[in-house]
Amino acid sequence: MNLKRNKVLLLFLIPGLILYSIFFIIPTINAVIYSFTDWDGLSPDYNIVGFDNYINILTNDSIFLKAMGNNLKFMLFVLIFQTGFSLLFALFLIKNTKTNVFLRALYFFPTILSSVSVAFIWSFVYDPNIGILNTILGYLNLEFLQQSWLGNQNIAIYSVAVTQVWFHTGQMLVIFVAGLQAIPKDLYEVANIEGASRWQRFRYVTWPMIAPSATIVMAYTTIQSFKAFDLIFAMTRGGPNYSTEILATLIYTTAFRSFEFGYASAESVLFMIIIAIITVLQFRILRASKVQE
Amino acid sequence: MKRMFLVSILILSVVLSGCVGSTSSNSDSGAGDGKTKISFIHWRGEDKEAFDSLIAEFEEQNKDIEVDMTIYPSEQYQSTAQTLLRDGSTGDVFTSYPGSHFEIIKQAGLFEDLSNEDFLENYNERLILAGQADDKQYAVPLQLVFNQPIYNATLFEELGLDPNPKSWEEFLALCQAIADAGHTPIAFPGADIGPGQFMNSMMMNNAPEEDVFDKLIAGEARLTDEWWVKTLTQFKELNDKGYLGNGALGTNHPGAIAMIANGEAAMLATGSFAVAGIKEINPDIELGLLAPITVSESEAVWEGIHTTTFMLAVNSKSSKKEAAKKFVSFLSEKENAEEYANKTSQHVTVNDVEYTSEELKSAEEWFEKNTRFQPRYLIPNANVEKAVIASIQAVLNGTDPVKAAEDSQKIVDQNI
Repeated sequence: MNLKRNKVLLLFLIPGLILYSIFFIIPTINAVIYSFTDWDGLSPDYNIVGFDNYINILTNDSIFLKAMGNNLKFMLFVLIFQTGFSLLFALFLIKNTKTNVFLRALYFFPTILSSVSVAFIWSFVYDPNIGILNTILGYLNLEFLQQSWLGNQNIAIYSVAVTQVWFHTGQMLVIFVAGLQAIPKDLYEVANIEGASRWQRFRYVTWPMIAPSATIVMAYTTIQSFKAFDLIFAMTRGGPNYSTEILATLIYTTAFRSFEFGYASAESVLFMIIIAIITVLQFRILRASKVQE
Repeated sequence: MKRMFLVSILILSVVLSGCVGSTSSNSDSGAGDGKTKISFIHWRGEDKEAFDSLIAEFEEQNKDIEVDMTIYPSEQYQSTAQTLLRDGSTGDVFTSYPGSHFEIIKQAGLFEDLSNEDFLENYNERLILAGQADDKQYAVPLQLVFNQPIYNATLFEELGLDPNPKSWEEFLALCQAIADAGHTPIAFPGADIGPGQFMNSMMMNNAPEEDVFDKLIAGEARLTDEWWVKTLTQFKELNDKGYLGNGALGTNHPGAIAMIANGEAAMLATGSFAVAGIKEINPDIELGLLAPITVSESEAVWEGIHTTTFMLAVNSKSSKKEAAKKFVSFLSEKENAEEYANKTSQHVTVNDVEYTSEELKSAEEWFEKNTRFQPRYLIPNANVEKAVIASIQAVLNGTDPVKAAEDSQKIVDQNI
């Protein structure tokens, strides 16, 4: 099939292009335009303010910087633990036995729940008075570990991150299992003949061979953790004291609580740039890992 | 075959773009049978039953009008109501919160001026001020709420406690007596509405002038001034002494309601709107209202906090304003307001209403007291409001009150 020869094939792009334009390209261009205004989202009039919104965000908005920091903390925590746990579980559940298939389905189960339900369930788990987590710690005589999990501003973001990890580990596990099952058995046989230890087999056979799966998992986890709006909004609303405020919740508050649409648009544009940078970096790492293979 | 497929794709794309176009066309406003159909939007899901019966009565009296009620979750309502109202097809009658929500809708010019409407006479003049601006009555608050702690009267009587502390020392002694008896003195839902509710009664006498937040926005007052640092210090004192219970910042409102309903806590630091929820869990509990006095008896100016909210308004963009005003007028009549109040266990701002439930009757004494309009609602900027609340959360997390006030003032400075 050659697109240049069969120009008629270009017509097939039209429906997708229309939908993509309506739901992505036009809103994005609009957001960029509004980011240079002081529009409140309601009045028909607005003023062009040039780069004022951007200058203000970057030089005079401590909450934006805090939200960005929280985003990175959340992302790193989720990235490390979600990838780690899903890989670990996948290594145990690689064979297609009945028990393993059942366990895979069980671990996958949280993924199909709505995020608001998950947020409510975990809010109860974390409740300092009636929550099961503190109750269990009490039974185990570990009272010194009892916490106000969502109320303590130093750990609240990590408490939400644990929920995110619980929520999506099963999903990533499936990708890893598929990757692990695709590794040719003879590679392990060679490793065994060479006298490789368990760790060496993982380090020199398994890990390089599942690098593509790991990249997919990491890229997906990163994007997922950046858009964790629903979980945070339902659990903490960005509190206490901005400790769980991430860029997505901040943009929502700016637009729909303070009614500063122009400013919120500028925040969104910066958010988009940050995600773009991270994605580009990830693609570079992906290419690097391909070279290694 | 190829051509057929291509044609069907093209048809599909035309259909899809047609769908997009149809959403922006104006929907027919009439009910189709000669009746005028008005849309009534609000956020009180718990009042649905009461409104259903009031709407049925209204439609019975006004055969040519049909009321279509839509209830949104309060969070969604606050963020999207303004957008819904803009084209005039939704929310012929709508409701607004006082404070920044009212301000936003006013700025967008969506309030119809109700200043000359006869039904205003039905209301207590003092209690509809929150709906006034620029010498005009843009909205009429229907509900009257007391945003101050509720106490378990049964437990107070059992322990022989006086629910009228006259100074900060007396309030601390009251909390200590409750703690000594093995109860949590104050159930504090710090995870959601607690700080925003309790701050009002905690600061009312520390900053007795009602325009303190206007001054804050104007840069004439600062959170680092004595009035706010003292309030934060007193929050810290309550927390440090364990009067707010374990992990106050991790407790949400339903959890705190359960704590007072089951007798574990003696007070609930939110407001009279929680009474129905407490009674639902424990119908036999007797409740009352009290307020912490944070100064000495001689310095106390205010006795409590009230808010007039659920402000009824008519959409200025509506094409059915007359029918909409008729409905607001109907809800403002004494009998109908009375039915609404007693069915929903809430006080109303309409004059001469007789309350039937014990809780509503017992709180009636607060009508005569010197209560102040909820200060938090007088913060016109949502970012500043959030910064003020964040300073309370910071203090409850162990931050020094002076440092917490400085941090929040920095955010205030960035937003004024």
